[in-house]
Amino acid sequence: MKNTDRYKKNLIVSTGKNKTYASESVKSIIYSTDPRDFGQVKKSIPCQDACPAHTNIPGYIRCIHEKRFGRAYELNRLANILPGVLGRICSRPCELYCRHGEPDLGKPVSICSLKRSAADFKSPMHRILEGLYSPSGKKVAVIGAGPAGLGAAHELSVLGHKAVIYEAFEKPGGMLMYGIPDFRLPRNVLMLEIENILRLGVELKTGVKVGTDVSLDSLLSDYDAVVIATGCTMPNRLGAPGEDLEHVYSGVRFMEQVNNGETPYVGKNVMVIGDGFTAMDCARSAVRLGAAEVKVNIRKTEEYMPIDDQEKHEVKFEKIRFYSLVDTKRIIGEKGKVTGIEFLRTKLEYSPNPPYRNAVPIENSEFILPADSVIVAIGQQPFPGEISGKIEQNGARILTRESGFSTSITGLFATGDCASGASNVITAIANGRKCAVDVDEFLIGRKRKIHVVRLESVDNTDRDRAYDFIKRTPMNTLDFDQRVSQRSNEVEKGYNEEQAAQESKRCYLCSLKYEIDTTACIYCSACIDVAPRDCIKMIQDVSMNPDGSFGHYTETRNWNNVSAIAIDNERCIRCGQCYEVCPMDCISVTKTERIELNIEE
Amino acid sequence: MPKNDHYVIIGNGPAGNLAADTLRDSDPDARITIVSNESMTYYYRHKLTEFIKGKAREEDLTVRPYSVYKDKNIRLRLGQQVDKIDPNKKIIYLKHMETVSYTKLIIATGASPRALPSVSNFSKCLNVLSTYSDALAQIPMINKNKTFLVLGGDIISFKFIRMLKDMGKEVTTLLYSEAFWPFSLEADMAQQVKKSLSDKGVTVISDDHIKSVKKSGEAFDIVTEKGLNQSFDSVYSFLGMIPNIRFILGSGIDTDRGILVDDHLKTNFDDVYAAGDCAQIYNPDMKSYWLSIGWNNAKIQGTLAAQNLLGAHKVINPAPQKILEVEGLKINTSWWESF
Repeated sequence: MKNTDRYKKNLIVSTGKNKTYASESVKSIIYSTDPRDFGQVKKSIPCQDACPAHTNIPGYIRCIHEKRFGRAYELNRLANILPGVLGRICSRPCELYCRHGEPDLGKPVSICSLKRSAADFKSPMHRILEGLYSPSGKKVAVIGAGPAGLGAAHELSVLGHKAVIYEAFEKPGGMLMYGIPDFRLPRNVLMLEIENILRLGVELKTGVKVGTDVSLDSLLSDYDAVVIATGCTMPNRLGAPGEDLEHVYSGVRFMEQVNNGETPYVGKNVMVIGDGFTAMDCARSAVRLGAAEVKVNIRKTEEYMPIDDQEKHEVKFEKIRFYSLVDTKRIIGEKGKVTGIEFLRTKLEYSPNPPYRNAVPIENSEFILPADSVIVAIGQQPFPGEISGKIEQNGARILTRESGFSTSITGLFATGDCASGASNVITAIANGRKCAVDVDEFLIGRKRKIHVVRLESVDNTDRDRAYDFIKRTPMNTLDFDQRVSQRSNEVEKGYNEEQAAQESKRCYLCSLKYEIDTTACIYCSACIDVAPRDCIKMIQDVSMNPDGSFGHYTETRNWNNVSAIAIDNERCIRCGQCYEVCPMDCISVTKTERIELNIEE
Repeated sequence: MPKNDHYVIIGNGPAGNLAADTLRDSDPDARITIVSNESMTYYYRHKLTEFIKGKAREEDLTVRPYSVYKDKNIRLRLGQQVDKIDPNKKIIYLKHMETVSYTKLIIATGASPRALPSVSNFSKCLNVLSTYSDALAQIPMINKNKTFLVLGGDIISFKFIRMLKDMGKEVTTLLYSEAFWPFSLEADMAQQVKKSLSDKGVTVISDDHIKSVKKSGEAFDIVTEKGLNQSFDSVYSFLGMIPNIRFILGSGIDTDRGILVDDHLKTNFDDVYAAGDCAQIYNPDMKSYWLSIGWNNAKIQGTLAAQNLLGAHKVINPAPQKILEVEGLKINTSWWESF
């Protein structure tokens, strides 16, 4: 059956014209809380497991394939309330684990760009879905309107509590508004998704600084609970002489100025120190402010930079150069202004912790390079502010209870980067949401949501083997002169509908679990003959993981020792060949999805 | 030295061959294998322009015919691409799914033409000339076509332009300021280069950048940032070289622009050495790194890497009088002087 037909048929089901199909599909759905199923889902769907918010990636990519963009967007929203934003600026931890990126299988699916396509092609003013609970009468203050604060406020609101956000800046969004430049994230996209949150009744108070305009103590007495989600806003310092010279900026403050529409002086020759996304944003903003030569100075080498290849390419495309194996010794100036940097050469040495390399400065290897301005973007830490000394801290971070978000003060919770240390946007959103669930349990006194694995037997593999050979679709981007002519021009243009459809075919749909019914199998090994890789195994034994799910398969080539023919779902690329060829129809396909259910229904 | 040593050399250029010879001279019984992704045995790359002109035959390019490998008992694997290396297991993985185990490894994969990110949108329309197979494939096209645009600036581009003029072609060159390689030319030097090319009848465009290249029929339409709009039969790019190290990334062998080695040409793994254009060498006196270019450097480094691999402790001489600083890297230029 064609997928579009399938979709139409589903529509018919929902209007009750095809009751047979409907009852069949209802019968075959199981909601499982068995740890073995969670273990299986974790191993089988590596992208979803790698996503801090556990977004249902195969699910939404399948929807894009079926051109159900609104549904794809809403599937994202279940885990992450800002799909249009994340589809542009996510650090893509999922793509590192995509099975398509395994050796000899090509490149990972462009998961992030497809998320953007869902946001781009859903109909304007589409219907957003929220599983709302009735009002609890409880009030919660959330400090900070960054990704963590927004995530927490949204989930609190869904759960029936009145959420009030206190934001120190004039506009909401936190780092999304003041950290990330608009050529990577247009502000109308960000604001629309924030409005989607606010329309649930979340109250937003901007320009209110907790600690100055209102005290934490008064919030604690006025509200039933308080969530701190103030992020990491204090830039790390180099600790090198010359850091306070004029035209030396911290990455965070520099981006703040740029995003406020100001034009900080950069001169012709700009030196950026740092290797993360903020450093790249600073370097690329400097190009748009008229710098002729921008160098990004890194202590290790390009291989160990914590940014993805696409970002590296864009940076180089904008004629920015990476200058590796250097460590800043001091910043040099004349008459209070920067004139250059004295560097030390570094050497890579083994370190026992990932990424297993340290950059060690070489003694007496000093040399000087000229600079008109220097931007230091070497990470941030939480700003201690008013809470300092009042609650338990772990360094600059707020200490939270193990596996939870409550602090040493009852009713006070902390989430996002101010508790976890600097992370990324998707982690902050996920933690904001998890924190809200903790707050809910604190306010209501019981858990109201659980995670289950939804198992649905399906009769179609939904894939064509030819899809496996489609190459990853490159992102459409602006030419260099269009990028610099207007600094807010968005560099990435997104896929068109056809490209999105093509890229969506590449997803293996790892959420489909393939199993052989060994009681019906006649051991003809036809499936092994058509297998595209060593995914179907003749096994004599299988180990168990601590959660009870299957672990390592012990293979045998001796027929006398074969106890089963099994499909290794960690090797399976869901090409469907075995399913097609099996003469006994003993291979079953089950759609497995990790979903959230209301415990009380 | 135990008899069951298997020395594997990746790369069949001057560094690889001199390394193999050195190993064979000291260890008559060892197994030695050279893996090369090219289909031709060791040849003179700088004679490719003569070959295209028809002034040199295939035999004239050949440095070493297959018989020499046979006599020296060096196993030659031609046309085989190394996919990745596992230096912990001491295995190299070939593209055709074969694995080769080694006890000691020398990487001498050289460098290949660089594609600047700024031309990436139309890189499919740009020809490069780097290997024998490039030359072989391009001869009919070069003979047939009349008008050529050369995006140039590197030292090989000047040689290629001379070849085209000798063949009576119409040549326009767009001197790419960011492509001067191995180093940026001072304004007066650039002026000299421009004059010398103009004197040869080459149309020289400078202070401009290519904006787009589009295929239209048999020809290519180019547009520059300053508004030049012209059609050429073919477009070549010579924008410098980058070390061939892609297959090493992620293996645990340290790389920067090249493979990072100490002044003994050893990588961060005891049994893995690198030599020639692909190596980025640390010099303890300069306290910095340098890359080298070219035939003679490669020969010296290939020999030295093999000697050290066999237990010598020789230090590579960076010949400081010939080293220039480019983008923070010292570049040894002895090769381009003799080019």
